[in-house]
Amino acid sequence: MPQPLSTREANLFRTVIRHYEDKQYKRGLKAAEQILKKNPKHADTMSMKALIMNAQGKTDEAFALAKEALTIDMKSHICWHVYGILYRTNKNFDEAIKAYKFALKLEPDSQQIQRDLAILQIQMRDYQGYVQSRLVMLKARPQLRQNWTALAIAYHLEGNLKQAETILSTFEKSVTTAPSKTDFENSEAVLYKNSIIAEAGDIGRALEHLEADGNNNLDRLAVMELRARYLAQLGRGADAAKAYRALLDRNSEHPDYYKSLIEALGISKDDEDSQKAVYDEYAVKNPRSDAARRLPLDFLTDENFKVAARAYLNLMFDKGVPSTFANLKHLYSDSFKQTTLPALAEEYLNEHKSTGGEKEHANGDSSKGEGAALYFLAQHYNYFMSRDLTKAMAFVEKALELDPKNVDFHMTKARIYKHQGDLEKASVAMDEARSLDTRDRYINSKAAKYQLRNNENDRALQTMGLFTRVETAGGPLADLIDMQCIWYLTEDGEAWQRRGNVGLALKRYHTIFNIFDIWQEDQFDFHSFSLRKGQIRAYIDMVRWEDELREHPFFFRAALDAIKLYIAMHDKPQGPNGVNGTGGSGANGGDVAEKKKAAKKAKKEAQKAEREAAEKAAKQDPNKTTAPKSKDVEDVKKKDDDPTGLKLVATSDPLGDALKFLGPLLQFSPRNIEGQIAGFEVYFRRRKYMLALRCLKAALALDKDDPRVQEQAVRLRKAVDPVLASLAPKLQEVIGLTFASGASS
Amino acid sequence: MAEDRQLSNLHEGTTAGDVEDEVQPTAKSAEDRKAAAALSKLDTHGDDEGSARDVDQEAVKNAVDALGGKTADKKEVKKVKVDAADVNLIVEELELSKAKATELLKAHDGDAVKAMTAYITPAF
Repeated sequence: MPQPLSTREANLFRTVIRHYEDKQYKRGLKAAEQILKKNPKHADTMSMKALIMNAQGKTDEAFALAKEALTIDMKSHICWHVYGILYRTNKNFDEAIKAYKFALKLEPDSQQIQRDLAILQIQMRDYQGYVQSRLVMLKARPQLRQNWTALAIAYHLEGNLKQAETILSTFEKSVTTAPSKTDFENSEAVLYKNSIIAEAGDIGRALEHLEADGNNNLDRLAVMELRARYLAQLGRGADAAKAYRALLDRNSEHPDYYKSLIEALGISKDDEDSQKAVYDEYAVKNPRSDAARRLPLDFLTDENFKVAARAYLNLMFDKGVPSTFANLKHLYSDSFKQTTLPALAEEYLNEHKSTGGEKEHANGDSSKGEGAALYFLAQHYNYFMSRDLTKAMAFVEKALELDPKNVDFHMTKARIYKHQGDLEKASVAMDEARSLDTRDRYINSKAAKYQLRNNENDRALQTMGLFTRVETAGGPLADLIDMQCIWYLTEDGEAWQRRGNVGLALKRYHTIFNIFDIWQEDQFDFHSFSLRKGQIRAYIDMVRWEDELREHPFFFRAALDAIKLYIAMHDKPQGPNGVNGTGGSGANGGDVAEKKKAAKKAKKEAQKAEREAAEKAAKQDPNKTTAPKSKDVEDVKKKDDDPTGLKLVATSDPLGDALKFLGPLLQFSPRNIEGQIAGFEVYFRRRKYMLALRCLKAALALDKDDPRVQEQAVRLRKAVDPVLASLAPKLQEVIGLTFASGASS
Repeated sequence: MAEDRQLSNLHEGTTAGDVEDEVQPTAKSAEDRKAAAALSKLDTHGDDEGSARDVDQEAVKNAVDALGGKTADKKEVKKVKVDAADVNLIVEELELSKAKATELLKAHDGDAVKAMTAYITPAF
């Protein structure tokens, strides 16, 4: 039980809470001290003090104090609640849930605790727990629609679609007056219910429900798209076609509408003419539509393709569309199309030259067409499926003669240099392209990337600095980290790795890992926010996306880089300065002294940056800080105690550290053979033969002819055979079942 | 950006010790205050008792009472005896947590060989 306080102190206690909520931490602490002076063992006040200290960034002291408060008063729900909040702000959600449950046991009627607990449960995907919490909350306040919706969400995510639908219907039935047409929450709820019915597989009923309740829905587009899809799924071709035509009238650039319309019309995939007719109809209706003209190129063949492609290319070149090649390169998997397209571009070029300036073009400017065609050809010969870099260079030079200040042309020239393997020239050329348009962030980023490819980390950061926020403490790099600029961090890390600076490379990879953690934590606020806003469909999408977050190629690349680096560190332990020869294989190999120098320089720079950041922070008036994230805590935590990654390098167990990256890699991207191969190397070195075998089997299933996989199989066989008899009998049995002798050969 | 700030405010609000609903932290400028006020008005949509007017209180109460029974039937947990030695073996060899290892064993009727074989066999 909470210990009683005198009236004066009870009032003071309330002001402590208020100050905490208003983030007036110093005043809050002062008030808390006043109470503690008279009641030094008042647990609730001690807890509140701990909470404020935690908000000020003194996490360890806060935990110690909160624990002390708990030992004094085990039965205070405030103490348990605070303990839960402390765990929660430090992202230890499992422990937080336990503490909240205790608090709730002591104070079953606290809506606040119940709500916090529910949010934690859904964050941790404890669906059963979430259902229970939501049920309690609904019973407490059944008149609120969002409590009903929340319970439906809980059942939905748990997989109980029927119960979810029932909950939504029950609420609908208890509403006495019809909701207004502009009721956004209702409109979303109707579509949410519809999505549940469809997800349960009952398309017929979903269509019925949509036609009955969806008429006045505010999300017109969603209703139209869903209806068209349901009709198509139900095999009602004529109706579906009509629905898709209605959608195309709204938006004639949506490829899916065309494809679905053709399917609904029952046109066979081989019937080029009928398919083309559908597209032509919309090309006539929408003279400026691109999709209706471009999409037929996907399925047309031979002469039909040639005619359509010629018309399309002429149109694009006349307009001088720079993205023409990018829009068509997917056709290159077809060898006929791959040879036809450049031939047509040459044809256009010849025609254009022979007519000179005589032929009037629609928009008058005829030089545009020639440049666009030359640009197309330059990209054609630069593309990996049709590469001839000498020709590519010749075309881009010709294009540059026409328009020497064109950023795109210069950019392609830089790419050609890159493909020639001359990274230095590429970097210079890309920077030249950048100088032609210093206000374009895209070309600025490209220039930085090419500098990184050429291992010019400092210059790249300078280039990036042209577009970062000037006022960010810590300079451009801190801003890039704040802005979660993953591509930059990856390229920067890889460049440091090539230069042999293991510390900074690891630092970057860990930063990326942390950014993905942040993305996962970011959903926390939406569990309540989306509910309040009533945007349930988007919320469900988000929850499901979060569950697969780390399958993203950005994560894969950084994680694989980190794992390979850790393996190299294990194979060749280095000195404490974090500099060794294990960096990127082959690149700039050799000169140890130079690498040491580079590391030293990097360290110096990092220290300098830190100093500058500290100075800057000191200069700023604490009252005027426009805190970018409105959290005082953030500023305290921002101080990185290991800016150069030396602590990461100093690890005694690089393979153990690699597991942090490997786990999500194997879980979310099991079909990427590179991950499986790297996984084998880690587990093999850890002598976890079961897990190595698991990676090997997956890799074999993906590509049994990969020589690296073959080699791994032999290596595992050689390692396992001599120790087989010493393994646990059950392991022997598993190995016998799954890795029989001879299976590797 | 404004949305961002609003979100973190909500988050802070929910961390409050005992107080029922969100309290806006002191805004830093008049403009901020205005924006915060406008935003909080947006967000309180449906959160007040205002929307309750249209709801038939009686019907809702009855509906809630009817729910009570349904949650009582919990999913039947499969009863499988699991050997502690097997759990330890799996924890050691497959680097799983104890809970996960137990789960894996239970899913394969407590047969460690079957469980491990299934675990290392790719699902594709």
